[in-house]
Amino acid sequence: MKAKSKLLVPIVSAFMAVSMLAGCSSNGGTKNNGETANNTADANNSNKPASVYELGKEQLDFTLYGHYDWYTMPAWGGDITSTWIRDTKKVNVKPIHSGGAAPQKLNTMIATGDLPDAIWLERVDVEKLRSADMLVPFDDYLDKYPNLKKWLGEEGINMLRSEDGKLYQFPNWYTKQPNGNAGYVVNKKIYAELGSPKLETTDDLYSYLKLVKENYPNVVPYEPHLAKDGQGLDVLYSAFKENDQKFPGMRAVPNGDKLTSIFLDPQYREYVQYTSKLFREKLITQDAMTQTIDQITEKVMTGRVAVFAAASPTEIAMQAHAELVKNDPEAGYFMIWPIHKEGMDKDKVFPGTYGMLGWNVTVITKKAKNPEAIFAFYDWLTGAEGQSALMWGPPGIYWDGVEADGETPIFTEKYTSDAGELAKLQAITTNLNWVGNTVFLDTTKAKFEATLPVEQQNWSTRYQREITWKTQSNATEFINIDPQPDTEEGIIRQRIEDMYLEVRAKALFAKNDAEVLAILDQAEKDAQAAGYDKLLAFKTEKWQANLAKMKAQE
Amino acid sequence: MAQLSVNKELVKKPKTKHAFLRFLKQMDIQLMVLPALLLIIVFSYIPMYGVLMAFQDYSIFKGFFASEWVGLKHFDMFFSSPEFFEVMRNTVVISMLKFCIGFPAPIVLALMLNEVKNMMFKRLVQTVSYLPHFMSWVIVAGLIMSMLSTDNGSVNILLEKMNFIEEPINFLSLPELFWSILVSTGVWKEIGFGSIVYLAAIASIDPSMYEAASMDGASKFKQIFLITLPSIMPVVLIFMILAIGNLLNAGFEDILLLAVNPVLRDVSDVIDTYVYRVGIQSSRYSYATAVGLFKAVISVGLLTMANYLARRAGSSLW
Repeated sequence: MKAKSKLLVPIVSAFMAVSMLAGCSSNGGTKNNGETANNTADANNSNKPASVYELGKEQLDFTLYGHYDWYTMPAWGGDITSTWIRDTKKVNVKPIHSGGAAPQKLNTMIATGDLPDAIWLERVDVEKLRSADMLVPFDDYLDKYPNLKKWLGEEGINMLRSEDGKLYQFPNWYTKQPNGNAGYVVNKKIYAELGSPKLETTDDLYSYLKLVKENYPNVVPYEPHLAKDGQGLDVLYSAFKENDQKFPGMRAVPNGDKLTSIFLDPQYREYVQYTSKLFREKLITQDAMTQTIDQITEKVMTGRVAVFAAASPTEIAMQAHAELVKNDPEAGYFMIWPIHKEGMDKDKVFPGTYGMLGWNVTVITKKAKNPEAIFAFYDWLTGAEGQSALMWGPPGIYWDGVEADGETPIFTEKYTSDAGELAKLQAITTNLNWVGNTVFLDTTKAKFEATLPVEQQNWSTRYQREITWKTQSNATEFINIDPQPDTEEGIIRQRIEDMYLEVRAKALFAKNDAEVLAILDQAEKDAQAAGYDKLLAFKTEKWQANLAKMKAQE
Repeated sequence: MAQLSVNKELVKKPKTKHAFLRFLKQMDIQLMVLPALLLIIVFSYIPMYGVLMAFQDYSIFKGFFASEWVGLKHFDMFFSSPEFFEVMRNTVVISMLKFCIGFPAPIVLALMLNEVKNMMFKRLVQTVSYLPHFMSWVIVAGLIMSMLSTDNGSVNILLEKMNFIEEPINFLSLPELFWSILVSTGVWKEIGFGSIVYLAAIASIDPSMYEAASMDGASKFKQIFLITLPSIMPVVLIFMILAIGNLLNAGFEDILLLAVNPVLRDVSDVIDTYVYRVGIQSSRYSYATAVGLFKAVISVGLLTMANYLARRAGSSLW
């Protein structure tokens, strides 16, 4: 009996999701929220063609589903920013929650045809919705509403276009300039106590970690964050490979105009041997593969880590730095220029990547009654006014008015004196920023920070400006090169993925260098048997198509 | 002949009427069964047509009725996949271990608790031992992970302080330790709750039997083996039949949460985790259903077999 019901779990949960969905949609009919609209928006739009949708002229209600297990949209109108948008722009965003089971929720909505007006999701999930003819193309709106075109640019827009040549997705945190935080954070106090040795090459790093282990038995010499996801391990690959674009994450390495096996890449083999050696000599935490974020945070916060590397170590390190400096001004963390192998060009070391298209996207479904209005709202939101409001609250509190360029906000006294309250607001509004405009926000922040003395500067903004933004490579050409999971290549990808994770862990635990190489050779054999070549050919084709798209724009 | 059949009907009719009347008489009690029946029909029987997905290339966009029929393709794919052997071996080994250790453990605890004469102590042990049952696996796994970690894990610190080991042991990354950790965690979590049923069964044994036995000079151990155990045997058997039907459920949450290190894949991948990873996570529903159906068929077979054996021994489910 129990076995039978276990089998039906997916179906039962689908049933429950349907009933939850019914519960969600039945509380519709929101009333007009506040009639206090001031006419700034109208004034801005007054000299445009008549067919342009004017935000704030009439009530705009739409439903938004955030396709993530972890995402619960903050209540619209629950903070001063969204209240301001609701009242002045007359926009009311009604959330549909995933309830912690996003894949089931979306599938249920597709299967029952009960789609929301807009969906916020990963780019890889867009194609299946588009090919099922469920999405609205944006091409007709692009010229009418200028912000996306202005900030993303033609090149980025072309990259986002689907096979049919139309644009269906509104990107989030897109950019034209490097961003990202991947790199190495070093414990200042331990470093100073050990005589501040040179920390530039992989050999320097190795001897420094050994020194730490000898002198501080309770300190983790090298903390790679969640190593089972790559993180601080993959960061080290960039020390061996010039112009790395996170090839370990792609499970493939470009060779000429082809993508080839990662297991055969000489630098990859060197890197695996290096990390395995560090792990074997207990210079990398032995919990690397099993630890949780909580355990990592605890170690970094208490200063029991000498070198901390990750795809984005700055979040934890910034908090930890602030905490440690409170008790001891000599303690804390700083970032170093990325490590490189002796003989390599240090300016060609890129521990992280950025993509022009940013993180994820918003799509508008054919269910939407007025898709143009929704697009107009997103376009406003991604522009200077919308972004300033989401980042620094409605005008008149932390910023008031704009500078001569017409977009850079002028920060008020309160911006620095009331930073705590602003941070609280940002913690909410960051989850409402579905169309983040990286260039605008980064430039504005950096411009303002540069006017402050060093000790008042934000820890991570400082190292972003000094190091990480200079050491992230552009990997836009490699986006969207993975096959759909239910295709033949997709099934191969799943096998290779499983195999890769296992091989990486096994190689880390290997007893000597010869064993590492044997594991990689066996992996190559197994991968070929599983159809790796076919997958690589598929990825190569997609990559070349991307390159063609990008070249066409020059 | 005709006469006879009429007679038969005459005899039969009052009987059915009688049964129906009996049912009507118990209406208030029968109604209580209704929600349970409805629940099973709505959530187990009606959705069962979904297993047909196993024979389709199901696509959520086309829906159930428009998806293509592909026969046994997905079964074939599972049986010939390179993981098949490993997954089956792990499933059988882990579930056998859980059955051989996890099944008798609560019985032993119940027998031991039954001999405790200090009521305070008995209640305390019972409460403490059944509390973990109410913790979710996420919490239990988190606890185990931080206890067994190498950096500041309490178990390693304890062993080091007692000079049993020189270097911390990486418990959660050694394949040879995984099965023991998994099984003992499961036993720790469920032993107390499992023993409640047996304690209740023991409580219903007539005390005069023990009095008679002790007058005849039977020792405590003799009493346990000759009175207590035989008296709770029917309960044990029924639970054993159910456990055998469950044999292929080697576990899901516990394995998913404890075997985070991919190094353990060789010993930790069981049918359910495999279905979750390969089927559900990559939206290959037909494949997932096929593997699930395969598991269910074997489970039903095992259950029937166990019940048949039990019936010959004198007590069975049906």
